[in-house]
Amino acid sequence: MLQAKNLTKTYGEQTALNSLNLTINEGEIFALLGQNGAGKTTTINCFLGFIQPSGGSASINDVSVAENALETKKYLAYIPETVMLYPNLTGIENLEFFSSLAGFSYGKDELSSFLSKAGLQNTAHNQRVGGYSKGMRQKVGIAIAIAKKAKALLLDEPTSGLDPKASNEFSEILRELAQNGTAVLMATHDIFRAKEVANRIGIMKEGNLVSVIDAKEISANELEKLYLQTV
Amino acid sequence: MKKIIANKEYTTLLRDKRFKLMGGLIAFLLLVALLGGFASYRSLKKERDLAQKEARETWLNQGEKNPHSAAHYGSFALRPKSEMSFFDFGVDSFTGTNVYLEAHRQNDPKFSAAQDSSSLIRFGEMTVAFVLQMLVPLLIIFLCFNSISQEKEDNTLKLMLSQGISMSLIAWGKIQGFSKALAWIIVPALLLTFILILIGTEGSLSADLLLRFALTLLAYAVYFFVFISLSVVISARAGSSRNALLSLLGIWVLACVILPKATTNIGASIFKAPSNFEFREAIHKDEENGIDGHNPSDKRFEALKKQVLAQYKVDSVEQLPVNFDAIAMQEGEKYSTMVYNKHFDRMENIYQNQNSVAAYSAILNPFMAVRNLSMGLAGSDYKTALAFQKYAEKYRYEMVETLNTHMRDFSKTGDWEKKADAGIYAKIPDFDFKNPSITSVLSQNWVALLALLIWVFMCIKMVSNLKNISLS
Repeated sequence: MLQAKNLTKTYGEQTALNSLNLTINEGEIFALLGQNGAGKTTTINCFLGFIQPSGGSASINDVSVAENALETKKYLAYIPETVMLYPNLTGIENLEFFSSLAGFSYGKDELSSFLSKAGLQNTAHNQRVGGYSKGMRQKVGIAIAIAKKAKALLLDEPTSGLDPKASNEFSEILRELAQNGTAVLMATHDIFRAKEVANRIGIMKEGNLVSVIDAKEISANELEKLYLQTV
Repeated sequence: MKKIIANKEYTTLLRDKRFKLMGGLIAFLLLVALLGGFASYRSLKKERDLAQKEARETWLNQGEKNPHSAAHYGSFALRPKSEMSFFDFGVDSFTGTNVYLEAHRQNDPKFSAAQDSSSLIRFGEMTVAFVLQMLVPLLIIFLCFNSISQEKEDNTLKLMLSQGISMSLIAWGKIQGFSKALAWIIVPALLLTFILILIGTEGSLSADLLLRFALTLLAYAVYFFVFISLSVVISARAGSSRNALLSLLGIWVLACVILPKATTNIGASIFKAPSNFEFREAIHKDEENGIDGHNPSDKRFEALKKQVLAQYKVDSVEQLPVNFDAIAMQEGEKYSTMVYNKHFDRMENIYQNQNSVAAYSAILNPFMAVRNLSMGLAGSDYKTALAFQKYAEKYRYEMVETLNTHMRDFSKTGDWEKKADAGIYAKIPDFDFKNPSITSVLSQNWVALLALLIWVFMCIKMVSNLKNISLS
């Protein structure tokens, strides 16, 4: 469960995030829409503990991020916008490295099955990541998140630059993770993807969460209209 | 956790073309410098040992002659090559190797290697120490400058941190990984150095030499640790990889090129040393007029005569049972040596002060610390050259004194014809100079030792303080 209470971040005069209140329950996918600079990434960075909030608190499974930064990392997985990874290591080696940092020691077969689950073709598992496409690297990133078996998943524009097929596969994986009880927070520009995969959609503007909509009760066209009116 | 990061860093580095190419180049340079240095060490050592042996034989077999003539005939003292000098030439190429020992004159060591070379030698020689002190830091910088900044730019740092490890742990892991990869380049060269030391000493490795080698290893290990951790810390703090590289190259130029030259020049301009001509002139003046300027040599001669006549209770030198010429010469020798030592100590003091500016800069500059320590331990620094010069002068004085004393006792005043038995020459011992002990090397280089210690603590502190770097 991800929870923000009056979460605020200011840089001098500028307010990046203004008193955000948000709860994402287990098994729920929440999509954050908004222009660049609306506060989406700031929100995610607060949950990751990379930014110290100026006020309020972010907590994961009722543990405050600011106070127990290292403990909360056990519950969360994170996929950045572009997953670059280490070009001199193979897909499996990259996955093994990040998993072992989180304290897991998987065998080669298990690692391979995580990569397959993330949609990476078997032939690529033992190739160096230097030769991967962006979509393939993103899949390794997803495998890293799956392998962590996290309670909360934070995604920063995960589908940007992916082709529609890869993007669709990605949605499938998110739904599966949610079904297994993961709380997902996803910042995105992709209105249609948000409508399709999310349970709830929030629209942010200048640090404020302006509106929260139930994804079932709105069509993609209506959502786009609402988005354009808001920002 | 640290080990996981270290292993990943090590694996990626070994697969990196940049590392293979530059590391291979440095390893090759080390090999060339080692073998070249050792070959020249061997031939110089052979030459000098042979020359010293020949000088000794000539001395012993000069035949019967007046003892003072023998003192004028003189002999040579050659500076033995230090066992580790092939590793670090230090100032050996510029210091004299050979002193002519004769009566009445304190000669400077002559015939430095630089005299036999073209003036290009001023631009430095390819020695192991040069590669380790100047080029390895450059290699470290090129390998480590983007160690963290690149991960920031690629978002992998965030990914790593989101797995629940701390920034300083990442940095320590990287330092460990880089050190391990670097060991592939450095350790073989150091092993070869050790083998060459064994060959050079023909297996009779002394505890002193072993300790010198161990301390040299330690000093370089600390030096590389400082550069690796500094590179990682700056990479973490810099805004971009480009900035990190520029800052690190700036530090390298400052520490390895500008500061060593600047501090040496500042030292030389604050503490002005007289020219060799002025130095010799001042000695000559003091010998003529007396050290206080009121006691000229003819007066001293008269006083000595009076004193000796009174001692033997006779009226003229002809009645003396001993050779007064020998007594007078020995007194003159004593006086000139005293004058020489006074001026020499003054010069030494000036040079000491000049060098101290550079030596104290070690506190700011680990390059100076490791440079001074390395050549001190290798026995190729200025202090070792100075110790040789002083030892040679003491040997010369004792040689002349022995001969003068012999002449005093076995002949009468004015008898320049009486020849001494050839056996007298063997009374002068072999010239047997030993390098200053390791304790004196360490006490002379306490600033360097302290500096390295301070740098280790500073680096540990800097790495541990990496918690709050900005990630956005």
